[in-house]
Amino acid sequence: MKVPVSWLREFADLPDDAAEVGRRLGACGFAVDGLEGDVLDLDVTANRPDGLSVYGLAREAAAAFGVPLKPAPGTTALARKPAGHEKLPVSIGDAGCGRYVLALADVQVAPSPVWLADRLAAAGVRPINNVVDVTNYVMLETGQPLHAFDAAHLGGPEIRVRRARPGETLETLDGQARQLEETMLVIADRERPVALAGLMGGATSEVSRETRRIALESAWFRPTVVRAASKRLGLKTEASARFERGADLDAPARAAARALELLDDIGAGRAAGPLVDVQPLAVERRTVTLRTDRLARLLGDTVPAADVERILGALGFLPRAAAGGWDVTVPSWRVDVSREADLIEEVGRHWGFDRIPATFPALRAMPRPSAPPVLRARVLRRVLCGAGLQEAVTFTFIEDAAAAPFAAEADRVAILNPISEKFGVLRPSLLPGLLDSLVYSRHRESADVRLFEIGTAFVRAGEQARAGWVLTGSRGSHWSGEAGPVTFADARGVAELLAATFGVALAVTPADDLPWFARGRAARLAIGGRPAGWIGELPSAYVEARGLGPSDRVFAGEIDLAVLAPDGAPTARAIEPLPRFPSIVRDLSILVDERLPAASVRDTIRSHAPATLVGVREFDRYQGKGVPGGQISLSVRLTFRAPDRTLTDSEVQQAVDAIVAALARDHGAVLRGTAGPGTAE
Amino acid sequence: MTPPASPVEALRAEFDAALGAARSSADLRALRDQFLGRRSGRLTALLKTLGGVEPEARRAIGSQANTLKQDIETAIAAREAALAATGPAPGAIDVTLPGRVPPLGRRHPLTQVRERIEDIFLGMGYEVIDGPELEDDWHNFEALNLPPEHPARDMQDTLYLASPVPGADGGRPATLLRTHTSGMQIRHMERTAPPVRIIAPGRVYRRDNFDATHTPMFTQVEGLVVDEGISLGDLKGTLNAFAERFFDAKIRTRFRPSFFPYTEPSAELDVECQGCAGAGCALCKQTGWIEVLGCGMVHPAVFEAVGYDAERYTGFAFGVGIERLALRLYGVQDIRMFYENDLRFLEQLAP
Repeated sequence: MKVPVSWLREFADLPDDAAEVGRRLGACGFAVDGLEGDVLDLDVTANRPDGLSVYGLAREAAAAFGVPLKPAPGTTALARKPAGHEKLPVSIGDAGCGRYVLALADVQVAPSPVWLADRLAAAGVRPINNVVDVTNYVMLETGQPLHAFDAAHLGGPEIRVRRARPGETLETLDGQARQLEETMLVIADRERPVALAGLMGGATSEVSRETRRIALESAWFRPTVVRAASKRLGLKTEASARFERGADLDAPARAAARALELLDDIGAGRAAGPLVDVQPLAVERRTVTLRTDRLARLLGDTVPAADVERILGALGFLPRAAAGGWDVTVPSWRVDVSREADLIEEVGRHWGFDRIPATFPALRAMPRPSAPPVLRARVLRRVLCGAGLQEAVTFTFIEDAAAAPFAAEADRVAILNPISEKFGVLRPSLLPGLLDSLVYSRHRESADVRLFEIGTAFVRAGEQARAGWVLTGSRGSHWSGEAGPVTFADARGVAELLAATFGVALAVTPADDLPWFARGRAARLAIGGRPAGWIGELPSAYVEARGLGPSDRVFAGEIDLAVLAPDGAPTARAIEPLPRFPSIVRDLSILVDERLPAASVRDTIRSHAPATLVGVREFDRYQGKGVPGGQISLSVRLTFRAPDRTLTDSEVQQAVDAIVAALARDHGAVLRGTAGPGTAE
Repeated sequence: MTPPASPVEALRAEFDAALGAARSSADLRALRDQFLGRRSGRLTALLKTLGGVEPEARRAIGSQANTLKQDIETAIAAREAALAATGPAPGAIDVTLPGRVPPLGRRHPLTQVRERIEDIFLGMGYEVIDGPELEDDWHNFEALNLPPEHPARDMQDTLYLASPVPGADGGRPATLLRTHTSGMQIRHMERTAPPVRIIAPGRVYRRDNFDATHTPMFTQVEGLVVDEGISLGDLKGTLNAFAERFFDAKIRTRFRPSFFPYTEPSAELDVECQGCAGAGCALCKQTGWIEVLGCGMVHPAVFEAVGYDAERYTGFAFGVGIERLALRLYGVQDIRMFYENDLRFLEQLAP
């Protein structure tokens, strides 16, 4: 709300230092958004429709500076009897209208005097003509929206406040033909709507240079009714802003009298008859109790009784002393005040929040631990950052096409009113967003990108906490030698690291049913038999479509955190006693079919080995010279150890022989060689 | 009177001076030849001149000469070793080449700010809670004193789901993307009796433009304290402490009355602009103050909605936008940079 300080000073003896007035208004809740010369731009909060008026702000300023406030504009004019006797019938046929005041005036339409036009312009309202300008001026001054109809264009002539009828239309002042609905409240003449109640007048009854007589409306409309129509029509006006926050039911007659007075003052017109005032809704006089001890307890400060009464009185409240405090009558314009806490705020903000001593709340109970997902995320970040992955934060909503490979249409969660199609659905996976970020960095001179994100994925069943990662480029280039490109093993390694972090066993099985991964280069993850996620290489076509080159390879993984770590952070694990006897290591190289998964070899080894086999680890996989086509040479390191004695070479050799025999039998494996202490090559 | 110097001692003094001037191995070799050379060395020459000297004196000088000879050998060897130590060592490596830095990722700046805030409040005995990002109308609005058709709902333009999904904890179906993390606080109060001392961080969503200062998704940290006798003074003390710890400085603050439907009284916390120390600059729009967060005393209607005794308990709540703090903390101009994840940006962060 833009308000010249000189206008405020018409109602209270305020300093003419606009900045000082702004500071004090800011300190009691009307933040200053700007100051240009004499004009303050104040931020009026949604609960204070009375603050959308010069007089309302003058009241706040008068209270802040401790100076008296002059009577509301129109107070004396209302007491005077107008000369004429002309009037129109007014009927209210809907509870959406609580009061309707109508006055007729004879006018000479012309430009406004300069002072009035300037003041409107300063307040951000475009001057039009003296009649319309007076209605706007009085709205700004009193907060009561007014509307002037050209009385010659009112059928009847009469005014009927009613709901719109099916099929009715209205061309509003902005030139738009509006299709009306039965939920909308209209001002109608005998036949048809002439205005949208509380929003905007109609074009046919607009005041023009030919207008000789106006019907001046000053009414009260129910906030929900105006708000609903405003939303439905996408139409917001100065009037609707005031009505939907709650106008003063006591104001319409006084504001109408003020407008007639101002028309007369500037020679624009004169009342032709008395005010017609139809008021089906009585002004409510709310009384709210304010307790001294509650006031002190909520603020944490004791405000002297005299100050409480001074503050409330200056704001228009009527505090009457009662046992333990006051019974406070709330003025009609304070639609926001209905309970004790509201009154405490009134006292507090004019007493001064800055005067209230800063204290500390006592800790009276033992603090509880944070939520498991919070603790879990902290561990994940520590581990993944330590592993050299950079944390990313990507948008929760993505475009439908990017989500499509990850979830069938029926399983995607769409947004009803997205900002744009780019943000149309909630991500069913963290991978599309991560890939976008990876591509973004690749296009900006970062060759090696390793990103992770911890966040929520959305499917029809609800929300899923996940961690996702994407890797591309080299494993780290250095002058001493290339570390080589990242591969599937790096993406899988991240999953293994996470499983190790939370002390769970990870099962990795080949998967060809994950359409967002390349065929033959993807796996499902499972923990304790429950599906836990996936790892794989993104298809080259998909990667290229996102703007990377044909030789760029991107590996990714995603894990379900509720499966990985349902309890949050890992708990302390008991450490196994360190072995007291040395281990014996045997390396085994075998030729097997290239399609045989290493896991099968490992399983066969384990199931045919004695309990002294404590470790099986692949350390080489070779294809090429010396290996028949269609086969691979797989090298495995076997570690044997007994908890209670040193193993002998011969018992280890027996175990190895049994393993080799089983591998030959189950997989047709051919032994290329074994190696180990005491063993001939 | 000092006794006349023996010729050997004079020769020692000469050697010491010459040694001081020697700069290389070649110098040292020449020096050795000059003094100890078998044929023309100075010491040899000296010994040859002793023919006419008394045997007793000759023995004494001979002994001195021997000592000098050994001292010269030792001194030259020491200087030789010292010169070798300063020259290039065999197998020397080029230590000026860059090292192989172990790869280390950084937490995202929004995470760093969020955890910084969480840690400050963890230190004050708060617990950090978690909750759903998809909410129902009750938890996001109604329980927070925002009934349907309340004009203040316009303050948070909402993104709705095209069709509901099952709600968290088997409750009401979720219909919208939470506009603040307050729903988590309602859920917490619904299942926990006071006292309450929580921090509720997370992503929130508004139907907002996407530009340098707005994103449709941003990150919030909200806090809530409920107990008997909690006052506005407690809110001030707590948030002053927060501001001081967060900005790592004794920083001036002010509390301005404001409006939120779920608090009464409501306030905004401003901190002194650090760009101009409160004098007024472009950063603070010449006001000397920077808006940091919204806060207030919990509205009794909120307590009634969750079944708390609004007479017995009072509380305060606050909510802070992480992006805005992060812009300030890192001196970034454009909020969108936080969502681009450009490695050149992220790798500048402290780990």
